[in-house]
Amino acid sequence: MTIYISGDMEGVAGVCSWEQVDARTPHPEYQTFRRYYTQEIVSAIDGAREGGADGMLVNDAHGPMRNLLLDELPADVRVIFGNRKPFSMVQDADGGFDGAFFIGYHGAAGNSDAVLCHTYTPSIIYEARINGVRCSEATINAGLLGYYGVPLLLVSGDRTTVEGVREQMPWVRGAVVKAAIGNFAANSMMPEAARRLIGREAEAAVRERGSAQLYRFEPPIVLDVQLVTAAQAHLVATIPGFERTGSRSVRFTHDAFPVVFKAFVATWRLALGST
Amino acid sequence: MNLFISCDMEGTAGVCSWKQCDPSDRHEYPIYRRYMTQEVRAAIEGAREAGARRVLVNDSHWSMRNLVLNELPGDDDLRVISGAPKPWSMAQGIDSGVDAAFFTGYHAKAGDAATLAHTFSDDVYAVTINGVPCSEALLNAALAGSYGVPVLLVTGDRTIVDECVAAMPWIVGVAVKDPIGFSAINSLTPRAAQAAIRAGAREAVERAERAKPFTFDAPFELIVETAQVEQADFIELMPGFERIGGRAVRFAADTFPPLLQAFIVATRMASAANPIA
Repeated sequence: MTIYISGDMEGVAGVCSWEQVDARTPHPEYQTFRRYYTQEIVSAIDGAREGGADGMLVNDAHGPMRNLLLDELPADVRVIFGNRKPFSMVQDADGGFDGAFFIGYHGAAGNSDAVLCHTYTPSIIYEARINGVRCSEATINAGLLGYYGVPLLLVSGDRTTVEGVREQMPWVRGAVVKAAIGNFAANSMMPEAARRLIGREAEAAVRERGSAQLYRFEPPIVLDVQLVTAAQAHLVATIPGFERTGSRSVRFTHDAFPVVFKAFVATWRLALGST
Repeated sequence: MNLFISCDMEGTAGVCSWKQCDPSDRHEYPIYRRYMTQEVRAAIEGAREAGARRVLVNDSHWSMRNLVLNELPGDDDLRVISGAPKPWSMAQGIDSGVDAAFFTGYHAKAGDAATLAHTFSDDVYAVTINGVPCSEALLNAALAGSYGVPVLLVTGDRTIVDECVAAMPWIVGVAVKDPIGFSAINSLTPRAAQAAIRAGAREAVERAERAKPFTFDAPFELIVETAQVEQADFIELMPGFERIGGRAVRFAADTFPPLLQAFIVATRMASAANPIA
């Protein structure tokens, strides 16, 4: 049995500031928190094994996507490392996995009481909806997993994030490692306790995977993106197939979810490149 | 006649270096933006001598706010499109009901052995439509042609002027300089170039009946070769683009404007790939 793990950093226990997770201009704190992040991933792997999983693919899905301290991971897992993957946080999810975990995830752009909430790019995406459903990163990523027949089994992060995922996917087990106080403060478990919780939940999630469902969007799939500025929408609206639906909003419709996912990635990549 | 002028800068007399046409340059650019403006003014005056009246000028270089506006004619029949980005970039305004187009200050395409040769950006190694290698002039001419608008005049270096005249024999070409490789030229002086452009513009409008819209035949196939692999990685994310090689993407359309729009956004996506994180 194989499990796909997408690891982000903002939802790791103790994290409450961009400096702790900024790999591009590394603050000393980043080195500490990348270790806590790595350890939460290890706990999820160990827990999944207790539950009966024997194969693991970990996708480092934060920032430049090379945060994991590789020699602290078990030697028998594989890791997707590095930036600019077309399917980004859920690259290679089409490998016939039996279930997926989202570790260290965070709330959607606009959530209150969600640590470092954003949806892929804070300066670009004001809100994303698919078929009318307001999307966090977990929502969009679970949609791609669902398309490939992989159910989401576990999410870890702050309370707002976990509850948001469970509202959309009630079968998902949650590991709440902290409670956000606004966007830049948290009432958090200690790293060691968070690791125990994630391990326990990972084990249970794998054992109970029979009750999990696929999260799927039915075609036609309508992606509505509200940008932060009108200038971004002006540019993004020139992507083939995109329609300008408002001064700061665009729409893209397609029957295949992977095409929509890549179009979403193209949206913020293009807008990010011109700001 | 309602005239459209797309004015670029690299093909201005005397220009042989990026510094001369880089808006962040404080020494040479301020001089050459005035030469560019004067060439545009010469084109407007020549066209008006032959009977054209209303003119729409699209500043088509870099930041697209190069023209020194108070050195252009001050009448109500002249309008200028300034600033970037614009959805149609160098051809913004071509679909506004104009009768004919001029391209001034144009330069050779990426890969040509000519002064400051490029196609939209250095990220484009080559671009073809239906197998035909395209310069900016040909791409913009084809968009104009899809709206029934013929190109009457091209000014710039000899390489681009000769190429345009070969593709569109009705065009009046004014070669203001001969390239000596990428960053040197044998050039007319600005005043002589302006006089030649003014005469060429007059002749171009006088001969306008002979001109035809330039078009490719549908269906249209765009192939963009990028300079770097990571640029093709980014372009491939966009709907409708097919990856056909490490540094090559393909896009197809039944009508021309969406094809050109796809090319323009591909160049923007390519430049978004450049800062490696």
